[in-house]
Amino acid sequence: MTDVFTLDILRNYLLVGAALFSLGMLGFLARRNLIVMFLSAEMMLQGTALSFVAFGRYHGNWTGQVFTIVILTVAACEASIALALVVVLYNRRSSLDVTLWQDIREEGVRAESRTEEVTQAEPLEPVLGPESYPVLTPAGIEPAHPEQPWLERRK
Amino acid sequence: MTIGQVILATLVVLLGAGGSYLLLPHAHGSTKPRKAHAAGAILAGLALLGFLTFWTPPGPFVSGLFFYLFSIAAVAGGLMTVTSRNPIYSALWFASVVLSTAGLFLLAGAQFLAAGTVIVYAGAIIVTFLFVIMLAQMEGKADYDRASRSPAAATFTCFLLFWCLLYTLGPLAPQRSVTVAGPQDQRYSEKPLVRAANMTSFFTLTDQSALGAIVRQAVRPTSSLRDPSGAEKPNVPGLGEALYSDHLLTVELAGGLLFIALIAAVVITNPRRPVRPGEADRPLRDQP
Repeated sequence: MTDVFTLDILRNYLLVGAALFSLGMLGFLARRNLIVMFLSAEMMLQGTALSFVAFGRYHGNWTGQVFTIVILTVAACEASIALALVVVLYNRRSSLDVTLWQDIREEGVRAESRTEEVTQAEPLEPVLGPESYPVLTPAGIEPAHPEQPWLERRK
Repeated sequence: MTIGQVILATLVVLLGAGGSYLLLPHAHGSTKPRKAHAAGAILAGLALLGFLTFWTPPGPFVSGLFFYLFSIAAVAGGLMTVTSRNPIYSALWFASVVLSTAGLFLLAGAQFLAAGTVIVYAGAIIVTFLFVIMLAQMEGKADYDRASRSPAAATFTCFLLFWCLLYTLGPLAPQRSVTVAGPQDQRYSEKPLVRAANMTSFFTLTDQSALGAIVRQAVRPTSSLRDPSGAEKPNVPGLGEALYSDHLLTVELAGGLLFIALIAAVVITNPRRPVRPGEADRPLRDQP
C-alpha cells in the first residue's frame, strides 16, 4: 500500500513551516509595537503547527493533530495573558513601545543603545487642520449678527 | 544536498534577507524612499521564487495548485505582517497567514484542525483589531511603528536560522524512506523518518525488546490514521478517539491550562485602587 503523502510532500510542508517560523522570529525581534510582536509570536506557532500536522500525516497517526490542538490551547492562553499585559503596560506608559520597558531587564545586561534622538522618529508631514481650509472672501452687506466663526464653536 | 542546492539556498536566503531588511522600518525611524520599498519587494519576490524551486509539486494537479497557492499566500502574508507600518494592516495580513495555514491543514488531511484554526484565530484577530483600535495610533503615525529595533542584526539572525533549516531539510531524499520488510532491514529503522507504521509491523513480528515495546505503545490502533483494514478513518471520530483514549491526560492538562490562564488574565487586568498618601499605614478594613 503506497501512501500519496511521500517524503517530498512532507518536505514541502516542513519548508513552509520553517519559513513561517523564521519570519515570525524576525517580527518578534525587530518590531517595537507590542501588538505586532504578539502577532509574530502567533505566526511562529502557526509554522510549528504546520510541521506537526505534516509529520503526523506522514507517519500515519493522530499525534501531530493532537499536538496541534494543544498548540491552539496554548495560543489561546498566550493571547489572553499577553493582551492583559498589553493593557496593563499601556495604562502605565500610554504607549505600546516595547523599548520603554528596557529598565526591567536583568541586572548587568547592557541596555540597547537608546538615546532620545534614536527613538525620535522623523516627524511625518503635519496634518493640516481646519485653519488650512479655503476661505471665501466675504461679499455683500454684513448681516447684523455677532461674529462667531464656526471654528470657535468646536471648542 | 548537492553543492548546487547549497548555493541556491544561500542565494535565496541572501535575497530574502536583503528584501526584508529593505522592507522593515528604518532603525532610526527615518522615512525610507519609495525606491527602497520597491527594491525590497523585488528582492523578496525573487527569494520567494527561488524558495518555490525547493518544493516538489504534489501529485494531482488541483491539490498541487492549491498547495502552491496557500504556501505562497502564507509566506508572503507573513512577510507583510512583519513589515507593515500600520498594526491594522499587520493584523489583516496575519489573517491571510491563518487562512492559508488552514488551507494547508486541509490539504494534509486535518479537516477538524482547519475549521478549528479558522474559528479560534478569527476570534483572536477580532480581539487584536479591538486592541489596535483602542490603543494604537492610527495610520502608522507612532514613532515606534516607524522604527525597528536593530533590524540588521534581527534579519541576520532569523535568516541564518532559515538557512540552517533549509540545509537540514534539503537532504530528505526519497530513498531514505523505505519499507521495512525483514530482519536484514533492521538498520533502516535506526534511520530517521522511516514511517512509524512500517517500523511497527516489523517490530510486532520479530522484536520483543524494549524498543519494540515502545514503538508498539506509540502506534496503537487508536492512534493510527487508518483502521486495520487499511481504509482511512473519518477525521473527527478518529481524532476524538485518539484524543480521549491515548491523550486523555493531555486533554485534562489543556483544560487546566485554560483555567489558569483565565484566572491570570482576570488578576492581571483587574485595576487596583491606587494607594494615596496617608492611606498606606491605615489598616485594611478601614478602606472602603
